[in-house]
Amino acid sequence: MSLDIRNVTKVFPGPRRGFFAKSEGFTALDDVSLTVKKGASFGLVGESGSGKTTLTRCILRLENLTSGSILFDGADIHRLPPQEMRRLRSRLQIVFQDPYASLDPRMTIHDIVAEPLVIHSDSVNMTARQRTERVVELLLQVGLRSEHLFRYPHEFSGGQRQRIGIARALAVGPELLILDEPTSALDVSVQAEVLNLLHRLQTELGLTYFFISHDLGVIRYICDEVAVIYRGKLVEQGQVAEIFDFPKSEYTRMLLDAMPDPDPDRSPFRRAG
Amino acid sequence: MTLLKISNLQLSMKSYEGETPILHGIDLTIKRGEVWGMVGETGSGKSLTGLSISRLIPTPPGRYLAGSIEFQGIDVLKATDREMRALRGRHLGMIFQDPTTNLNPAFRIGTQLVDVALHAGHADPSVLGLSPGASRRQFKDAARQTAIDMLGKVGIPNASERINDYPHQFSGGMRQRVLIAMAMIGKPDLLIADEPTTALDVSVQAQVLRLIHELVAERNIGVLLITHNLGVVAQICTHVAVMYCGRILEAGAVHDVLKRPSHSYTRALLDSVPTVHTKRGELRGLGDLQPEALA
Repeated sequence: MSLDIRNVTKVFPGPRRGFFAKSEGFTALDDVSLTVKKGASFGLVGESGSGKTTLTRCILRLENLTSGSILFDGADIHRLPPQEMRRLRSRLQIVFQDPYASLDPRMTIHDIVAEPLVIHSDSVNMTARQRTERVVELLLQVGLRSEHLFRYPHEFSGGQRQRIGIARALAVGPELLILDEPTSALDVSVQAEVLNLLHRLQTELGLTYFFISHDLGVIRYICDEVAVIYRGKLVEQGQVAEIFDFPKSEYTRMLLDAMPDPDPDRSPFRRAG
Repeated sequence: MTLLKISNLQLSMKSYEGETPILHGIDLTIKRGEVWGMVGETGSGKSLTGLSISRLIPTPPGRYLAGSIEFQGIDVLKATDREMRALRGRHLGMIFQDPTTNLNPAFRIGTQLVDVALHAGHADPSVLGLSPGASRRQFKDAARQTAIDMLGKVGIPNASERINDYPHQFSGGMRQRVLIAMAMIGKPDLLIADEPTTALDVSVQAQVLRLIHELVAERNIGVLLITHNLGVVAQICTHVAVMYCGRILEAGAVHDVLKRPSHSYTRALLDSVPTVHTKRGELRGLGDLQPEALA
């Protein structure tokens, strides 16, 4: 497994100014190139509107590219015929940001986690009973219990729901997991548990993570490599320790300075006053 | 000087399943110039404590079982609606978490700010720099001017023109600043900020925190900052109260609580924040801390 993003540009059409006037587009991604190595965690940091989510949507081919290419194991995702794309989708899965909005309130946990297995039944090929067994196995893996099987999402806390989202993403045995701010809606204590779960799963299953966050502390904790994105352009990328200790760009330095440290002695306000 | 004194506040909420106690006796005193941080997880009752101070919890379903909230000598829980209206917006400023739901999308920013300014002005004309006998016209002009000044003060460039814009024309950070402007118009003595920066980017968060910090320094007001971010507390708070399941577990000066936490829950909460030195897999979380043992 390797993911290669090469010179990706994505322009969204802007509002039309006049009837005959050409619309000015909005450049969400501007010549973005990066490589995600197998078995590693790659972090993408940026503020809202910087293009993080657009990039994940491009990787999943939920959005077409304006130019550039995205190679998954050497195959250009955006030029694959639909059938092969379907097969490939089982190898890359996503965990969404909001655990309250990303689970269907009318489906049981069993149905939610089994759904990818049904969708990919041509490549997974399981009977209903095997699927249930697989779901139980997944629930145990993410720290839930088998008696949760036939409950509904509203019966779970935020952290438990995010575990369900992770179980669903893992169901078809993906190689690359895209995590779009998986802990930003959670309390710090629950975030810690989910981060530890992700870390354990990575070592157990040999997963590759593409981790999106605006929280630099989380990125530093979970990732090996990091790229900083600002207004659609990559500002800086490299090893986590290097970027955090010796940021080269002004923007990265600003982000690091703005990160509130839980040590009261490091407060910029107290230093001033 | 004591601004706010909450003693033994107990609140319960009624639902179809019966009555659930929410707050089990909260004690808190805020003086002028103090910035109190109130931290806790979802459902710990920190927002309801904040709402209780300006009596914004509908009763029923809420019910105060015991306790009192004394704000500048007035018992908030026993005050009449009329007295409360005079307090809110004038002496008690509130900033809510989500700027998108707390601004009316159908009205211009200016209209919404002028509304607040007029309300505060009618309660106390000196807020707008007017004498009690001023004409309606003077009130209107002064309210508009105050709104523009306040918008400029929270760092919105070109305030006299932006005041005619609608909320959707502002970015998230700017909307939050509009809400802060709105809360500050009445020159309140106590500012209650319920997660003012949770929806914002770190760089905008830093700006908002700076703004609150400057307001405290300038006007010597008291602030109750409700948040779940210990980093934010460490940055601008002078004092902190740690809440869990409707109780304050630990309260005191920020250095004492964050540097030498006496309660195991506070320590666990601090250990949950990934910092520069945390190695992968070492993050603690609450782990096997039992809720019953904490209460």
